[in-house]
Amino acid sequence: MPEHGVASKTGTATPPNLRVNLAPNNIHGLELSNPVLVASGTFGYGTEYQSLVDIQRIGAICSKGITVRPRAGNPPPRIAETPAGMLNAIGLQNVGLRGVVVEKAPIWERWSVPVIANISGESIAEFEELAGTLDGVPGIAGLEVNISCPNIRDGGRLFADDAGSAAAVTRACRAVSTLPLMVKLSPNVGNIVEIALAVEAAGADALSVANTLLGMLIDVDRRRPYLANRTGGLSGPAVRPVIVRMVYQITQAVSIPVVGVGGVTCTEDALQYVLAGATAVQVGTANFVNPRTATEIVDGLSAYLQQHAIADISELIGAAHPPAARPAVTTPV
Amino acid sequence: MDLHRVTVTANEEIMPQTHVVDVASPLLGKSSKPGQFVHIRCSPMWDPLLRRPMSIFRIRPDGVSLMVRAVGDGSQIIAASAVGAELDVLGPLGRAFTIDPSARRLAMVGGGYGVAPLVALATEAIGRGCEVVLLVGAATADYVFPADELPTDVEYGVATVDGSLGHHGFVTELLPRYLDWSDAVYACGPTPMLEAVARITRPAAFGVAGAMRSQKPVQLAMEQRMGCAMGVCLGCVVMTKNGYQRVCRDGPVFQADEMIWDGLHA
Repeated sequence: MPEHGVASKTGTATPPNLRVNLAPNNIHGLELSNPVLVASGTFGYGTEYQSLVDIQRIGAICSKGITVRPRAGNPPPRIAETPAGMLNAIGLQNVGLRGVVVEKAPIWERWSVPVIANISGESIAEFEELAGTLDGVPGIAGLEVNISCPNIRDGGRLFADDAGSAAAVTRACRAVSTLPLMVKLSPNVGNIVEIALAVEAAGADALSVANTLLGMLIDVDRRRPYLANRTGGLSGPAVRPVIVRMVYQITQAVSIPVVGVGGVTCTEDALQYVLAGATAVQVGTANFVNPRTATEIVDGLSAYLQQHAIADISELIGAAHPPAARPAVTTPV
Repeated sequence: MDLHRVTVTANEEIMPQTHVVDVASPLLGKSSKPGQFVHIRCSPMWDPLLRRPMSIFRIRPDGVSLMVRAVGDGSQIIAASAVGAELDVLGPLGRAFTIDPSARRLAMVGGGYGVAPLVALATEAIGRGCEVVLLVGAATADYVFPADELPTDVEYGVATVDGSLGHHGFVTELLPRYLDWSDAVYACGPTPMLEAVARITRPAAFGVAGAMRSQKPVQLAMEQRMGCAMGVCLGCVVMTKNGYQRVCRDGPVFQADEMIWDGLHA
């Protein structure tokens, strides 16, 4: 490994190291060139923003949520704006598993940016079919297991709602796939640390924290919920403090990498998550406003590390934790 | 299509809560087509969060004019842009209106703010030597699009819901008298108005007994709450015979025959 962030004899600094590995214990690993991913549902299948964004500079792309069968999604209105945020109830409109394998993965295979397929099942068997089918498909670097989409219910419950079913989905995916597994937790639970621990024990390589917060907007003219689905998932800067707190708590309990997802709009937001213990972040709703947010944060993190003479982003992970709780790998700065 | 930082060169309130904002951008001027829109960031801040879609109302070599309806917190910020201010503009976006080369007589129906893309279309059609009738509807006379903003060759019809100007009633009630005359029909406005246009131009599709099946092209520019405007968030869909289609990418212009109206508007 070259030395990073150290001034050379000519006085110019080598770039700091932004590389992170989201699955250090997995046989494939999930090494990213930088810790800035784009979140599922906010970047399509990666192709849509190619004309605007240098997508190969993104740490990784989490695909639109994939289900076994194609899904038409929910009736409109599907989105609403809220203070510093938005509600969505898209309903997992997607091309389905076969569409991803046949149409999308061959495109992803040609890219240097890793693509993580976000999978969403309505039963354990569906998760097994998704994870098993995608294992070994060229172009798919890992799986993000969506146990937490608030719009699809199985018997009225989400798999993310309790530790037992969250772990069961994780185990089922683990059993049929060697790919790195990042399990995406729901924030709409009482004790998210308990669920994080159960998912870790069930074989997850990483956690993404978290999906959207369940919310509602009432249309006072029509006197009913604005969204056709009635409820929707809240995202955007409005949720950031809630999710930063969850990342801070979870990363003191688990030892697998955690990816912070919620309201990341700029370098400072990303640094908050890293200092709270996240190994990486996902940019979500901000992509809709500025599609270049992720690549701008990559540059911003590099500049921050350089400015503070920090050689490696890993030195900052969890640096805001209480001293006794900081991970062993962390060098206090 | 690209992200542009553009400078506001003029800003005029042409009707209550409705501004025409001129921006300098030869790239937008060169690449924009009638029916397309741009997606404008409200401010560098993140609240209001989402960009706002605005119709391209006039296309010039050195830029475009946008019609900005100041009805909410975000669009009010954009409408208040001072001359010399910079706007963060994504565009041009969406499928444009098309004019068949054989079409000579075009009937257009605009409801409220929906008149904006039709002005761009009428201007282009006049340039091609077409005859154009533009029918405009509004709640009251105050909200009727001013005729002096239109090319003089455009025949102009007005309807107001309260009868304060022109026909007393809905603008779609003016359309039947131009149906036989026209080679093609174009409309933009609130969804119920667009459904009414579809009903008038395609009565057979709505089960009207004895109605003739018309093959006359009818193009509708749909409105829907929009998120990314890049086809990514899937927020702005409308139901069509090909399933849910994105207004931002698959539209905003759709053929009337494509649309499924049930449940489209509450």
